[in-house]
Amino acid sequence: MAGEVIYEVRNVSKRYGSVIALDGASLKLHAGEVVGLVGDNGAGKSTLVKVLSGAHRPDGGQIFLDGEEREWNSPREALEAGVETLYQDSGLAPHLTVSENVFLGREKLVPGILGKLGFLSKKEMAREAHADLERVGIAVPASNRSVSQLSGGQRQAVAIGRAVSWARKVIILDEPTNHLGARQAGEVLKVIRAAKAKGLGVIFISHTLPHVLEVTDRIVVMRLGRVVMDAPTSEFDGDRLIGVITGTIATIKVEGD
Amino acid sequence: MTSVSQTTAQSAQKSTLSSRLSSLGSNQSTILVGVMIILIVVFTVLEPKFFSVATANNVLTDWGSVALIAVGQTFVVISGGIDLSVGATIGLSGVISAWTMANVLGLDQTVKGQDAAVPLLLGTVVSVTVGLLVGLVNAFLINKFKIVPFIATLATMGAALGFSVILSKGAPIGSANDFTLITAMAPNWNPLSWAVLFVAIVIVVLGLFLHKSRFGLYTYAIGSNAFAARAAGINVERHITMIYALSGALAGLAGMYVYIRLGAGSPSSGTGRELDAIAAVVIGGASLMGGVGRIMGTILGALILFTVQSGLIMVGVAPDWKKVVVAVLIAAAVAAQTLQSKNGRK
Repeated sequence: MAGEVIYEVRNVSKRYGSVIALDGASLKLHAGEVVGLVGDNGAGKSTLVKVLSGAHRPDGGQIFLDGEEREWNSPREALEAGVETLYQDSGLAPHLTVSENVFLGREKLVPGILGKLGFLSKKEMAREAHADLERVGIAVPASNRSVSQLSGGQRQAVAIGRAVSWARKVIILDEPTNHLGARQAGEVLKVIRAAKAKGLGVIFISHTLPHVLEVTDRIVVMRLGRVVMDAPTSEFDGDRLIGVITGTIATIKVEGD
Repeated sequence: MTSVSQTTAQSAQKSTLSSRLSSLGSNQSTILVGVMIILIVVFTVLEPKFFSVATANNVLTDWGSVALIAVGQTFVVISGGIDLSVGATIGLSGVISAWTMANVLGLDQTVKGQDAAVPLLLGTVVSVTVGLLVGLVNAFLINKFKIVPFIATLATMGAALGFSVILSKGAPIGSANDFTLITAMAPNWNPLSWAVLFVAIVIVVLGLFLHKSRFGLYTYAIGSNAFAARAAGINVERHITMIYALSGALAGLAGMYVYIRLGAGSPSSGTGRELDAIAAVVIGGASLMGGVGRIMGTILGALILFTVQSGLIMVGVAPDWKKVVVAVLIAAAVAAQTLQSKNGRK
């Protein structure tokens, strides 16, 4: 089912002053696999996400993409290598249109000398944004409308659609179903499945455990900066997952290969 | 699925139309043109001589220098910042280029006509370079030390003002009544002059860059959500640097404009102009929170400022009232914006 290991961090650590945010955490992601990353507040999830997305450099440990050791100096480097990250609630620029947001950072330019000067091909972007979003199963709002005019659910759909349509290898989704109604969250989970079917590795960070249980293949549980459990989703149910997160259930197994 | 995508397509079409209609109705430029017409009518009724080519020339000539820095300010404000240093930069760049032209390039009253062209062009290069450097200092303070733009540019404003007084010893430097200086400002094609035409061309080019190019899109993106811009791979610091450099360079250009106007570079020639520029930007509909603003709005905002100023003088109101009227205009513009965005959210 799942393919080769596509993205991996080994033994990464990160301190902020005297606070140890990551204490030798490791994570493996296969192509076409959805991994759920869960843990209580302060467990180190966000820090791990920042390391994975290139926003923070770890103090120690290694990062491998497609088996090759990599170092990210900026999110741009990770992005260009094919690692797309969708941050919690802040993925879009509200004053820009849907298509401008979808193409932000990878604009289409008009041909010729005007293109060399950076002039945008807005029509082409609007058309392609529409097609891209539809391809990943997003009901597309008018792509020339500004994002501030969309509902919360629509915004999130656009943000995820953007990330999925651009991702080449890995997509990291930080709380994508936060603040969404049941139907909208269902749409998001559908897009995650579309990403998986596309052969992308997906890391899904969420506090909403039913969503995690529903959509993931494997769950990685963090506590106090460490990975305390890494097991197939079939080995969890709601109670057990909560038990591992809070530490009331002793950690049984950290999956190797 | 098909029915869903159909309705989406339909609603998309409908919303395009309705958003077009609403953008026409709430279009700041339309409102501002209306305000301009009302102002012209009122002043003309009060003083028929107001409606004349000479008045238009005066207004446009005054408008030129502030329009330049207001356009720079538009980029800055859309990116979520503010540049308080532009007024002082007009003074500093004017003083340094005037000094260079007088002492290095030998521009004095004996230089006439075409002979003045080369020193003036080189002086313009000096002036723009000085402005550019001030802008780079602003960007350095903002990017490197994470000083908020208000404070960073307040600091450079003070420094620029101080330097220009030190360098000029407080007195204007210049070679007044040069022939070339006067023709540049003379209304060659009434009410337009070479200088105003030049400003207009600069503004059109920058307007195209703001609204049609990637540079402009990134400016909006950063002001709208810097985090998202960074996540999209935009080099936010580099873009901020370019924006403040642009604002500074335009202030340098405005410094030259004022030099040509006065025939001298004076440390006080730009004092308070930064507030005129900010007023123009705000009246033009930009939001100091970033992400919103149009070049057309700024241009009209600046035009309204100088129309009011000129009109009040002509109808015999004491010049001191100008500040009060401008204050009312700014408050009205911001109030209108707030009401509009409230309605928009309903």
